[in-house]
Amino acid sequence: MGVINSIEQLEEYRRELAATAKPDLPTVLVCFGTGCQANGSRLVANAFMEIIKEQGLQVDVNIGIKTTGCHGYCENGPLVALRPQDILYLKVKPEDVPEIVEESVKGGRIVERLVYRDKVTDEIVPRYSEIPFYKHQLRIALRHIGTIDPTSIDDYILAGGYAGLAKALRMEPEDIISEVERSGLRGRGGAGFPTGTKWRSCAAVDSDVRYVMCNGDEGDPGAFMDRSIMEGDPHAVIEGMIIGAYAVGSRQGYIYVRDEYPLAIRNLTTAIEAAREKGLLGENILGTGFSFDIKISRGGGAFVCGESSALMRSVEGNVGEPRAKYIRSVERGLYNKPTVLNNVETWANVPEIILKGAEWYASMGTEGSKGTKVFSLVGKVNNTGLVEVPMGISIRELVENIGGGVLGGKKFKAVQTGGPSGGCIPERLADLPIDFDSLTEAGSMMGSGGIIVMDEDTCMVDVAKYFTGFLVEESCGKCTPCRDGLPRIYDLLTEVTEGRGREEHLDMLEELCDLLTWGALCGLGTSAANPVLSTVKYFRDEYEAHIRDKKCPAGVCKALITYSIDPEACTGCRLCAKNCPQNCITGKRKEAHVIDTSKCIKCGVCKDVCAFDAVRIS
Amino acid sequence: MKEMTQIQDVSRFDRIIDRYERSEESLLAILQDFQREFHYVPEEGIRRLSEVMGVPASKIYAMGTFYKALSLTPRGRHTIKVCTGTACHLKGAPQILETLERELRVKRNGTTEDGEFTLECVNCVGACAMAPVTLVDEVYHGKTRPSKVMDIVRKQVEG
Amino acid sequence: MEKISVVIDGRTFEAEKDTCVLEVARRNGIYIPSLCYNSEVTSSGGSCRVCLVEAHQGGRMRLVTSCNYPVRKGLEVKTDTPLVHRIRRGVLELLLARVPDSEVIREMAAAEGVTEVRFRKDEGENERYKCIACALCVNVCAEVVGVHAIAMVERGADKKPATPYNKPSDVCIGCGACAYACPTGAIELKEKDGVRRIWHKDFKMVRCSVCGTPYIPEAQVDWIVSKTGKDRSFFDKCPDHRF
Repeated sequence: MGVINSIEQLEEYRRELAATAKPDLPTVLVCFGTGCQANGSRLVANAFMEIIKEQGLQVDVNIGIKTTGCHGYCENGPLVALRPQDILYLKVKPEDVPEIVEESVKGGRIVERLVYRDKVTDEIVPRYSEIPFYKHQLRIALRHIGTIDPTSIDDYILAGGYAGLAKALRMEPEDIISEVERSGLRGRGGAGFPTGTKWRSCAAVDSDVRYVMCNGDEGDPGAFMDRSIMEGDPHAVIEGMIIGAYAVGSRQGYIYVRDEYPLAIRNLTTAIEAAREKGLLGENILGTGFSFDIKISRGGGAFVCGESSALMRSVEGNVGEPRAKYIRSVERGLYNKPTVLNNVETWANVPEIILKGAEWYASMGTEGSKGTKVFSLVGKVNNTGLVEVPMGISIRELVENIGGGVLGGKKFKAVQTGGPSGGCIPERLADLPIDFDSLTEAGSMMGSGGIIVMDEDTCMVDVAKYFTGFLVEESCGKCTPCRDGLPRIYDLLTEVTEGRGREEHLDMLEELCDLLTWGALCGLGTSAANPVLSTVKYFRDEYEAHIRDKKCPAGVCKALITYSIDPEACTGCRLCAKNCPQNCITGKRKEAHVIDTSKCIKCGVCKDVCAFDAVRIS
Repeated sequence: MKEMTQIQDVSRFDRIIDRYERSEESLLAILQDFQREFHYVPEEGIRRLSEVMGVPASKIYAMGTFYKALSLTPRGRHTIKVCTGTACHLKGAPQILETLERELRVKRNGTTEDGEFTLECVNCVGACAMAPVTLVDEVYHGKTRPSKVMDIVRKQVEG
Repeated sequence: MEKISVVIDGRTFEAEKDTCVLEVARRNGIYIPSLCYNSEVTSSGGSCRVCLVEAHQGGRMRLVTSCNYPVRKGLEVKTDTPLVHRIRRGVLELLLARVPDSEVIREMAAAEGVTEVRFRKDEGENERYKCIACALCVNVCAEVVGVHAIAMVERGADKKPATPYNKPSDVCIGCGACAYACPTGAIELKEKDGVRRIWHKDFKMVRCSVCGTPYIPEAQVDWIVSKTGKDRSFFDKCPDHRF
């Protein structure tokens, strides 16, 4: 079908798709997210295609192969899901494929060695929906990810896509805004500004031109939900934006995508073209007289462009420098026209809210933070990946129940949330509910939802230095506190981590943090002190250990540690000596080895290669 | 360092410029295409773009210095990117970076003398579950280790 | 034009809508230091942060740069509070660490009681040694002169004004407006034997036919002639002998 000319035709088209679809058709879903592709999912998919062709299975057993977006459980990729059996296979290699086809696809049996195994009970959990990582999740923004082919608009429509838009186009714009307001949806990009309020302010400004924009410049290190949505369900973002455009009266939209996400750019481009062909974008959408189109802007590798005013400057074709927001972008944004800018996850929620209603959405979450939130649970945790849960879940539940606890049975020390604008929350506050307000109160922030788990081997001074270093590189350099203050903070933290720290450095750090918080121009600068302030607040003893005792308790800061070999554990295999780039490890075969610490550069290679865990850091 | 050879033939720039709308909105995308085509943004390219679009060269040059995806000096034939996102940092990215700096005898964001490799850091490629991540010419390698990273690089480059 | 009344340090003033707080304060004899702002350049301001003041409105207080914060109904500004001075001192200490040789910064810092820098000072190098990267030169060149010879390049601590590739600019007319506007005198403008050197480029000067003083670069005359259609002979004499 070419252009869909009316809302009725859209529904008819969906029925047609449903009639030809074969829900019982065995389908192999191979994850094609960035993570799984890196682990070789393309080879796995090819192996399936080959074997199907070879065995002529389309006659015998008809199989559909589908490449999907990111399932989120990237840790265990490449992931292969089987429908309708609801089986999830982990870490699949091309050589596993014949067995999967033989046993599962044809025989309906489970290949035990490839399914999830509970780390504690050792029980196998073959069903996708029963795996603890998925069981506790409630997927709204991620609703289609891993189940539809992101490059197929038919797949999206068959799954119920564009029904939210169809409903919206029958509503008054004013009613759509009210619906979004009543849902309690707050911006998923960081600050948590109420989405409906933003739309209303924009719609209220007298102007002939208005823009809606999508912020896909997901810059917080450790957060990748927006990448996953753009790659895995691009139409959800597009549908949300069309609804938003209709609500505020915009004819042109922009999606700003991070340069580091080539697959997201590709899938969004494909999706926009498909939506145009179907008459869902462009002139006279679904015959309603409403017209709207979307352009993609590719970022250039600048974290600050995630800041709204910098993003708009970048889209206009400039250096991405923020400007003072004394006049809000809903009044004067892109090209000085009223502009609604929401992030990827926010837009992806919109169609569902319109379709199912504000009350449904507001029934989830907490008083001040409604609905669900996608988190990327990464760092020193067993199950890493994307997790969507109702707002208000505690940090501990997230880390323990879904994340399966800290990696290697180590001690849970803290989580970092909110990226470089956020802070570290210690384990003793882990029962804190995760929502916009509690995280801010604890000195961190929601940010885009990165949750980085830290264990006893993580040095908090090093973490503060890491984020400050990140921001030194990413500061645009426009205002004095950020441009010249951050390097001074970095200097001080370097002094501390290299054993030259003095007591007064802590006060100086706090002074500089105060200066940034009050004096910087944009959000990047005013929040840049959070990583330092939160670690000083919760882990002051670690700073003091570096300063007073010249010790790094976590064994991270190179200047304060020494490597040695435990003679008890060393088997004299010589592997470390062979790999040492300094040739400073000596010892006879089958005898304990010794590191010459005067030559050691603490590169960590010996520890990395030792199979007997004999290399110690003190 | 590779020799900076002058690119005299402006049609090579024009072919890229012509793919885009004559609007300042296209500048960044055009510069990125220059980067892809020439492995850097050549000075002649900036001057040509300024001429064709009627945008001051100073402004385009500023963009070239501001955006990390753009480089004003030629990059190596192969680009190695060490992800220095938070998860990668915690899981040993600094050691990976140090190893590569030592073995390739080049500092971060530098290019080896023979023009073979450029070593870059990238702030999170969104593949945190595979931390630490190293990219060799845009191919992702997860869970890289200091002792193995050079093997990975050699294996991929030598095919 | 709509008039708005605004309170600054307890006194009420009338001002035109969209006027910035700094202008209103200055007109009424209230001193607020400032570096990157020039009232003739609308794109200037907002970067150096020395003009921060407390803005109280709707029960909320924040620090804003008075050079680009427009007066609004119900706005109360405080320019002389402990917070304002604390943050200003911090900004000036950073600037002093950056350009310890700048007389202007030393004086402004001393006025706030900042004479010592506790942080690592920047190495004085090239034209950056007095530059505070405030972008006023770039804004003047683009907005007032209209030639866009220079731009703010790089990012973070390396941010600075420059011509493309630090080479003589094709479009620079040598007018020197950037150097005259620079709050710290960081831009080098040299004249010798009827030749002006600025931004790595030499400009032949036109001499006044009366006094013989070289007073304007030929390139600038070309520029004005092409833009305004003024007769070239107008520039035979310097302003002192023109009429």
